[in-house]
Amino acid sequence: MNLLRVAHICKTYGDSEAAVHALKDVSFSVPKGEFVAIVGESGSGKSTLLNMIGALDTPTSGRVYINEKDTFAMKEKELTVFRRRNIGFIFQAFNLIPELSVEQNMIFPLLLDRQRPNKRYLDDLLTVLGLEERRDHLPSQLSGGQQQRVAIGRALITRPSLVLADEPTGNLDSKNSSEVLALLKKTARQYEQTVIMITHNPAIAHTADRVFQVSDGVLTDLGGCRA
Amino acid sequence: MKSYLSLIPISAKVRRRQNRMTLLCIIFAVFLVTAIFSMADMMIRMEQSRLAEKHSQKFTFQAILDTSMGQTLFLIAGVLFLLILIAGVLMISGSINSTVAQRTRFFGMMRCIGMSRQQLARSVRLEALNWCKTAIPIGVILGTVSSWVLCAILRFVVREEFTTIPLCGVSLVGIASGVVMGTVTVLIAARAPAEQAAKVSPVAAVSGNTGSPGQARRAVRTSALPIEISLGVHHAVSAKKELVLMTGSFALSIILFLTFSVLLDWVGYLLPQSASDADLTIYGESGVNCVSPKIAEAIRGTDGVENVFGRRSVFEVPAELGQEGLPQTVDLISFDDLDLEALKKDDILKKGSDLTNVYGDNGYVLAVCDPDAPLHKGDTIQIGGGTLTVAGLLKYDLFSGDGLSHGRVSVIASSETFIRLTGIVDYSLVMIQGKVTDEAVAAINALLDEGLRLRDQREQRTFGTYVAFVMCVYSFLVIIAMVTVLNIMNSISMSVSARSKQYGAMRAVGMDGRQMTWMIFAEAFTYALAGCVIGCAAGLIIGKILFNILIQDHFAYAVWTLPVSRLLIVVLFVILATIAAVHVPAKRIRNMAVTDTINEL
Repeated sequence: MNLLRVAHICKTYGDSEAAVHALKDVSFSVPKGEFVAIVGESGSGKSTLLNMIGALDTPTSGRVYINEKDTFAMKEKELTVFRRRNIGFIFQAFNLIPELSVEQNMIFPLLLDRQRPNKRYLDDLLTVLGLEERRDHLPSQLSGGQQQRVAIGRALITRPSLVLADEPTGNLDSKNSSEVLALLKKTARQYEQTVIMITHNPAIAHTADRVFQVSDGVLTDLGGCRA
Repeated sequence: MKSYLSLIPISAKVRRRQNRMTLLCIIFAVFLVTAIFSMADMMIRMEQSRLAEKHSQKFTFQAILDTSMGQTLFLIAGVLFLLILIAGVLMISGSINSTVAQRTRFFGMMRCIGMSRQQLARSVRLEALNWCKTAIPIGVILGTVSSWVLCAILRFVVREEFTTIPLCGVSLVGIASGVVMGTVTVLIAARAPAEQAAKVSPVAAVSGNTGSPGQARRAVRTSALPIEISLGVHHAVSAKKELVLMTGSFALSIILFLTFSVLLDWVGYLLPQSASDADLTIYGESGVNCVSPKIAEAIRGTDGVENVFGRRSVFEVPAELGQEGLPQTVDLISFDDLDLEALKKDDILKKGSDLTNVYGDNGYVLAVCDPDAPLHKGDTIQIGGGTLTVAGLLKYDLFSGDGLSHGRVSVIASSETFIRLTGIVDYSLVMIQGKVTDEAVAAINALLDEGLRLRDQREQRTFGTYVAFVMCVYSFLVIIAMVTVLNIMNSISMSVSARSKQYGAMRAVGMDGRQMTWMIFAEAFTYALAGCVIGCAAGLIIGKILFNILIQDHFAYAVWTLPVSRLLIVVLFVILATIAAVHVPAKRIRNMAVTDTINEL
């Protein structure tokens, strides 16, 4: 079964002559558990596409189905709850909350949902991410790589079926990059999550199950790299 | 661009929304000072022309300043100037502070591309002064116009002693003080932020390590409260400078409110306004009851007379008070119904007193005595073979100069009771209220028998002064409240703007609009609560001290009580101000697209 189905998404900024077509009739599906990389040049529409999938932004036309649920048919409040239970986000800029500790940052989506974290799962995640020694540190006391690992932890804490990562290694050096990436793949596999990741780096894209290329708002399926 | 300073108006244009509140703050400060000093000036001019008319010679400004009225006016204006200066500096430095904090990266970049510390500090200062260019003229115009409106109200509505106040006078003193106020507040307020901006290291721009709200020293406690409330409170408490400024401005306005309301009490004691104040009084030269009720009846028909009522009195009547140590005599005084009603209207009756049985001849009376000779409601007094029951007590002695009874006991009875007990029908005093003309006074005079005198008190009514004072205090309080609300709105809005990136991220990971609003509310409420506690505590202490100096030292019967209703007003105001402050920024952040901020570095 397809976890994600994107159907005829178009996104246009501005109108008439000044109109910019960021996405042009994009359609694709991703089965559960697949690790997908999206590549493309700056301004090609990759981030716009990812934001549409995550329902952070609304398309001009088209539909996005996650677990066969039409995300854009939901009301704002319903969508917020759906998002925090089903989608994990990892940003290039980490976007951790500076006044929360590592552990608090990770369980933040659960706290918003008035849930208590499963302690074993949290400890497992902290161990897998190599953060168990740092659980009470503030983001400002961590390196970039460590901060991104916290962000991964935050994205995974609700056991979302879909993880969206927008250049998660864009701010990291190559050593940290490969570490973070390996972790992301490991946890995704361990918890059976679907990952869609934007990257600039062909080497990273190469390790994905499937690669999409976005160019001038048009999506091309480059197929599986390792299959 | 001729010089680097040309950047200032350009950046002001771009940051118009953020600057709007700062502009409003400056306008308010300038407006207040211009209005206050213009009013003081107009009062002086009125006094000048009044004296000139009286003494038919020109009085100089200096001569007026030497009079006690002139000095009092300018002293009050001076104190207000200082208070507004403090409030203005608090508010404006608050907003300049936030704009500087938000632009650390920008300043870092400026340093990177070659701006020196001095240039940076100068540009922040000049940017602040740039606001004065628009804010001061607006404030001055508003202040002058509102002084015209106030003068018109005094002249046409309050009238009394204000009929000669100039109407559309332009006060140079008012304008000058407004301009000085605007410039000085801005310069003082911009000092610290300018230094702070100059300290920004060029590295801040390149590393992105801006030290703005992003830096936290301590983690939030998240166990007790919902996460969004904990975060909101933490936002308020962690930024020390903001906390001090916001709490300070809240506390300052509460202190002003509680202090100024003591001034209202003071005027109430100083110029007591009684419903039984007479315009004309008739009394006998001999001092005993000798004004016939027929005369009172005849006066009732005179033009302009609204009310006529009288009092009878017999002093040192032997009486049994049923308690040892109490005097053996009482002073018995009769009040007409109108006079009795006035006691209630003027709030002179002690708590628990019941007037209903005093009317008519039911044997109930009101008693006036010192606290050390205590009579209580329900006590009985044996007098002239009859028994009187005390139905209530007065808060102070109406019949003595200082409000104390000095060991005497006075009993106020209705006319009917008094006549039954004493058989005396004639009044000792007849009081007349109304808009009585000089001709009517002559007509009343003609009615009087030999040995009766008429005292004309029409000129002594202090109602106009009282109303004018109360009006000034209230309008000042309203303005203070508005300034506080504006200030907290501004600061919350700034604080939200400064964190918008963080809020965007929170939205992305699942915070909903309601949680967002609660978080911002918690932040605002923390400031408000802290300000409320400090303001109420300090305000009560200062109010009590002021009460002792102004009132208790001069009016021995005055008793200070906790101003519960005023405290309730404060609490209500604080809650409303918080809601008002949260509404707009919360809406803005709820409507902001999540994608706008999340990938900004």
